[in-house]
Amino acid sequence: MKVIIVGAGEVGFNIASHLAREDKNVVVIDIDPDAIRRVSDNLDVQVISGSGSNPLILEEAGLKQAEIIAAVTDSDETNLVACLVADIISPATKKLARIRDVGYDEFHDTFREHAPHIDTIINPEIEVVKTIDKLMTIPGAVDVGEFADGLVKFVGIHLDPLTKLDGVRLADISATTGQQAPLIAAIVRNEELIIPGGKDRLQAGDLVYFVSEADKLFKALSVFGKQIETIERVLIVGGGRIGLRLASLLEEKSIYTKIVEKDARRCIVLAEKLNKAIVLHGDGSDQELLREENIQDMDVVVTLTNDEETNIIASLLTKRMGAKNTITRINKLSYFPLMSMIGLEQVVSPRHSAINAILQHIRRGKVLAAISIKDEQAEVMEAVALETSDIVGKPLKRISLPQGVLVTSIIRKNEVIVPTGESVIEPEDRIVIFASRKAIPKIEKILAVKLEYF
Amino acid sequence: MRWRLIFNIVGILTLFLGISMIFPLLFGFHFKDQSIAPLLKSMGITVAAGLLLYLAFRRAEVDFISHREGMAIVTIGWTVVGFFGALPFYLSGEFGPFVDCFFESVSGFTTTGSSILTNIEAVSKGLLFWRSFIQWLGGMGIIVLSVAILPFLGVGGMQLYKAEVPSPVPDKLKPRIRETALVLWKVYALISLAEVIMLMVGGMSLYDSLCHTFTTMPTGGFSTKNASIAHYDSVYFDGVIIFFMLLAGINFSLHYQFLRGKTLVFWRDSECRFFLGAVFFLIVVVTINIYGSVYETIGQALRYAAFQVVSIVTTTGYATADYEMWPAMSQLILLLCMFLGASGGSTGGGMKCIRVMLYLKYCYKELFILIHPRAVQHIKIGGESVPEDVVRSVLGFMGLYIGLFVISSVLLAGMGVDIVTSVAAVAATIGNIGPGLGLVGPTDNFAQMPYMGKWLLIWCMLLGRLEIYTVIILLVPEFWRK
Repeated sequence: MKVIIVGAGEVGFNIASHLAREDKNVVVIDIDPDAIRRVSDNLDVQVISGSGSNPLILEEAGLKQAEIIAAVTDSDETNLVACLVADIISPATKKLARIRDVGYDEFHDTFREHAPHIDTIINPEIEVVKTIDKLMTIPGAVDVGEFADGLVKFVGIHLDPLTKLDGVRLADISATTGQQAPLIAAIVRNEELIIPGGKDRLQAGDLVYFVSEADKLFKALSVFGKQIETIERVLIVGGGRIGLRLASLLEEKSIYTKIVEKDARRCIVLAEKLNKAIVLHGDGSDQELLREENIQDMDVVVTLTNDEETNIIASLLTKRMGAKNTITRINKLSYFPLMSMIGLEQVVSPRHSAINAILQHIRRGKVLAAISIKDEQAEVMEAVALETSDIVGKPLKRISLPQGVLVTSIIRKNEVIVPTGESVIEPEDRIVIFASRKAIPKIEKILAVKLEYF
Repeated sequence: MRWRLIFNIVGILTLFLGISMIFPLLFGFHFKDQSIAPLLKSMGITVAAGLLLYLAFRRAEVDFISHREGMAIVTIGWTVVGFFGALPFYLSGEFGPFVDCFFESVSGFTTTGSSILTNIEAVSKGLLFWRSFIQWLGGMGIIVLSVAILPFLGVGGMQLYKAEVPSPVPDKLKPRIRETALVLWKVYALISLAEVIMLMVGGMSLYDSLCHTFTTMPTGGFSTKNASIAHYDSVYFDGVIIFFMLLAGINFSLHYQFLRGKTLVFWRDSECRFFLGAVFFLIVVVTINIYGSVYETIGQALRYAAFQVVSIVTTTGYATADYEMWPAMSQLILLLCMFLGASGGSTGGGMKCIRVMLYLKYCYKELFILIHPRAVQHIKIGGESVPEDVVRSVLGFMGLYIGLFVISSVLLAGMGVDIVTSVAAVAATIGNIGPGLGLVGPTDNFAQMPYMGKWLLIWCMLLGRLEIYTVIILLVPEFWRK
């Protein structure tokens, strides 16, 4: 499978790195020789230096043989033109574009039906607001993924230092807590991903990934000593495009929202566009202002300015002043692992959200959704079990799945089944699979290999 | 530096080399000569050593190899492979003391073609086949070959590939390094097959055709005959071998594009034009120079001039004439050809045309700037600007190349070798050509070089084959600092 990526910035680089590790043929195009050098020095992909919207460059990259072209530069215009040119040269190639301007919001469907026929438009700001929305409901969750239209949730949380589960074997969790334990798919301990068996023990401070049905999430969380709280009051620091989007969403949900913005003129714009939310002119790290606005009563503080250092400081400060929970926006993906060390567990990044969104569209076969976890060491994906696929019609224990693969749930007609060895997957079932990076190419094959005969 | 990883991969290379000894063994069995025992023993030792290294330094899965580790693996790998490649020669006793065997083996792998054998035809056929075969392996690169056929080198393959093929402007033909390596080897094998057929059509035996192909395509130059290609004294063989030497001296990614139907690539590529133009020009000059003084007819002069020039400029090192009997000018031209070398991305050695071109353009630019002090000018190759850092690295390369050449030839002269021989022997080994001038001319060999001189030349051959930087970097203390 050949994928062309236009743009070797943070988003392009990470997508390329992800795909190259899965034995896909990747060509990266960028106009900046330094960005190109960074890619060619670090990744096993082909690089071409030049403009991604130039038809000659696209042809040189082998567009005609490519299954997917993803235009992810920082410029909406370049991305659009790249897709347009691609549409002319090779209409069969699937096109993905990263487009950020609000002005295009209404036209996503138009672009799909008319030229340039972009199959998927990814707006990192929309994606990141979606992520914040999901994180907000579960305090302490590092990752929240939804599958099967929200029927199944995939959650990553840190165990408290004083958890009663410290040293408990997975098989004994139900006995210790007196509650039905959810299926634990993975544990991250000291930056390493472990796929546990029943005999493995939990430790305080572990990052635990589990799968749960949406309506049983409350119980599942209580097993780990956490609970879902209803969000009533939210403070947003930073009234940029993401802040505005989030505030509008919260307004719709009738959540009491305050938004702090440093720039007076931007505040006027915000006040015009928002109806119920309170727009405050000031600095998000100004303690006087925060105290005046009753920071101690806030359920969540979301820091969304363009400056990640400001966000980190504001989050730490508000947490200290009594805010129950904080969500911090950062830009550099390499900061992610550091955040939990300084006590900020809920972290978002528009780029990370965009990468996840794009990856799930690149997946082969009938994969409906996919999220990557823990520096891309593993992925959870949702797929439709095809009639012709090898996993259908046999009890799970008789299917030889590759190592590092776990079928975490089967969804049959809106009903979620937690599978055992005896469960049989039927055609058209939707399944949620956890797979380590090494197993991804194999699992993709299992899900899709027979598809190619059609 | 993760030594486990380095030795583990070197172990894989060694194992791989051991297994490839099966091919000369087949010929040994076919001819039923005395090469069977030494080959079997060497194969056993090499496979065992490879397995031992591999198993003793088993590693967790590695998802990257650093730039430094890549260079260490390649240099250590080549040295170790040279050592084990020398075993069959040593165990047979037909090649003399160990230093001679090691010299012959490294000369093989680096596609130099300098030999210490005084009577080649007396050596058993299995060993002669091995001698040719290691040139073929070394030509496109043992690391490139392992990247192509051993999947578990994975991502790390890229760093290794860069360390072994440090061409100034890297071509990646396919998105994945493994496929790129595979494609290059396929092209290499395909052209080799064509040469075998052409030689057999001319009446050479299968064994000799294979041996000569295995030393033409990597621009190696080992022959199975004492008199090299002159043994056959055939215009047909001269022609075929000139043609394939030229092919081997051209960038293999051009061959790949040509095979994919882009017929004009050779003409469009400015380096290829430069290379072919230089070859043509030098042939004309040498022909005029030797016509009348050495050869009676223009045809003969052209035939011998063409073969010798192509053989030296592509760094192959075959001979059909004793050019030491030629006028001084022709000899000097051949000596300078040793520095020019073939194209980047080919199997040839020397400084490479692309670097010489860049260097000439750089010199012109300097002059131009003197005339127009405020001019903004880029150095361009084939219409595209060459990045500053590439130019800088090329200048550094030229400096190191000349510097190492000077130091090595002075050292060799210090061991009591005469001036012409020292200069030519170092130029011929660092450029991976083979025969030089004086005592190491086309009709002589390296057997009477002093003991330390042989070690010095072995070092020169490795330097030349891995294009200086990868080897010399190991001598820089900063490299070893943690």
